[in-house]
Amino acid sequence: MTDDELDTLITTRLALSGIDLTQLPVSPDPVTGAPTREQAMESLRTFLAGPKTSGTRAGGVVGSINGWHPPAADNALAQQQSIPLEYPSITVAWTDGKLS
Amino acid sequence: MADLARRSFLTGSAAVAATAAIASKAGPANAATRTAPRIPDVTVRSAAQDDPTEATLAEAAVLLRSRRLSAVELVRAHLDRIDEFESTYQAFVTVLADEALAAAKAADRNRGRGGPLAGIPLCIKDNYFTEGVRTTANSFIFADFVPPYDATSVARLKSAGGIVIGKGQMGPLATTRATTPNGTITTVNAWTPADPSVDPGGSSTGPACSVAGRLATSSIGTQTGGSIVLPSNQQNLTGLKPTMGRTSIHGVIPLSFTRDHSGPLARDALDAAIMLTVMAGPDPQDPRTLGLPALPDLITAALPVRQHGRVRLRRPTTIGVPPDFFTGVSADVAALRHAFLDTLAKISGARVVSVAYPDDWSLMTTAFNNVRLAERTEPFRPWMRQDLTLFGVSLLSWLQGFLLSGDEWITGQRAKDHLLSEVRTGIFGQCDVVLQTGPVPFDILGLPELAFPIGFTKSGTETIPAGTILGGQAYHEDRLLEVAAAYQAVTDWHQRRPADPVQAAARAAVPRPRIDAVTAAASSQ
Repeated sequence: MTDDELDTLITTRLALSGIDLTQLPVSPDPVTGAPTREQAMESLRTFLAGPKTSGTRAGGVVGSINGWHPPAADNALAQQQSIPLEYPSITVAWTDGKLS
Repeated sequence: MADLARRSFLTGSAAVAATAAIASKAGPANAATRTAPRIPDVTVRSAAQDDPTEATLAEAAVLLRSRRLSAVELVRAHLDRIDEFESTYQAFVTVLADEALAAAKAADRNRGRGGPLAGIPLCIKDNYFTEGVRTTANSFIFADFVPPYDATSVARLKSAGGIVIGKGQMGPLATTRATTPNGTITTVNAWTPADPSVDPGGSSTGPACSVAGRLATSSIGTQTGGSIVLPSNQQNLTGLKPTMGRTSIHGVIPLSFTRDHSGPLARDALDAAIMLTVMAGPDPQDPRTLGLPALPDLITAALPVRQHGRVRLRRPTTIGVPPDFFTGVSADVAALRHAFLDTLAKISGARVVSVAYPDDWSLMTTAFNNVRLAERTEPFRPWMRQDLTLFGVSLLSWLQGFLLSGDEWITGQRAKDHLLSEVRTGIFGQCDVVLQTGPVPFDILGLPELAFPIGFTKSGTETIPAGTILGGQAYHEDRLLEVAAAYQAVTDWHQRRPADPVQAAARAAVPRPRIDAVTAAASSQ
């Protein structure tokens, strides 16, 4: 994915949520400390696709998350593993040690 | 000193004898109710008798109870140091001098009828709601926010007699070391007041500095990614991040709903136990606190046990050492960690073993750490739509949260289940408590962590504290305190205090550096 494609994705996604990056300064602003527009864009490109090295991005947070599934012999069995737990420690208490 | 301890003992109640009896017994401390914990009659060190700002919370309580000290004297002693040194430390966003003195006078009038913390000056991190007192979280967003009520933890501390002496500096919105919203460094490490570049730990930087610098007797902070244990380690304190749900976070400005914890940054294990005992318990305003195991008797757990004059662990405990405990740190710190384990292993009842990480530990605790970012974006969306510059130096990670999809959020929550299983059956299949090389894994899981000092090391030309972090199983904070209490009974690192700043007025004129948004995002909790 090129940086232009990433930029289109980022600005469109943010715009759909009502976020306007043009509110940010084009050069560093020591009064607010806010990042510049380009710093924000590069941060988001890196988050999505990884840092740019020798002209390419090798993969970011999204790829790492999407590449994982619970260990199992196949996908049908993986579906049966690891239910979502927002509060793992509380689940331990509520289930009183009955988790497998 | 001995005389004072004896007289305190004689003026105490039968509970003192009960405490002593429990302290000498084997086995876990008995469960206790949340209300009215009794602070034991500890021996007051001579340094604390000479200067009440040297005292631990427990020592100060004994001095107050035995009428060797008044609440006004205790609070005024801390306010005097604030007057003299706060321009250098910059530990507070707000100092409540008049209010604290008024509360101290009331405590003295009600002497003997107040709660266990009666007369004790406390620093409260500035992301806790405080009724009628500005609560900024060091952000432009909350610059003028005056909450209509106290956070539950603050209300409980005040109900127990604690006196809020000020609101502690913090990283903006609880992300980094303490800075102003535009990234200008405020709070220094109390051990290196002349050098703002030395890391004081964050984001509960002000609470840590206030206790280390003797501007408050104890403090509370919050932790989402190390914000209690890291500043505790950096400033020679004992910090306790409890299990998720042990303390209410109602009235705390959120950073990550599933990972925000509240807990004390204190002078030793006993002080941390006292503070957590007051704070803990069910809160109808925070469903995460309901239906959980009863609070163990943390205060007894934090008292050392002696047998034939030698310290031993309250119960036999296996301490796990992970494979990276000696790597990725300086040779000095590695040597301190070896010495720490040697000392621990000599305590009767302690068994030190090596434990292995699961194969996917790094993936689970680094890439998946980013899943939390959507949690900070969601509650702040109204301000993000209004004006992005309100987030100042902190903005970038809030923007990142918009780019995670719902299915990725679910994957992150499933990964928590997987990681929990690995920790419970893998790591805790090998030990009772485990040393940590970083706070994030147990922050993800909501498991308890206790930070405490293990020595001193060099940072450039400066000498700074070094600490360690011990992790425990869910709702087993008592086990962590038992280990720290034994270790602190045979060492004195936790009793050391930093020297006062020199030429405070001159130092105050030295400009503080500023961190930029990219740096802030890279170090965000």
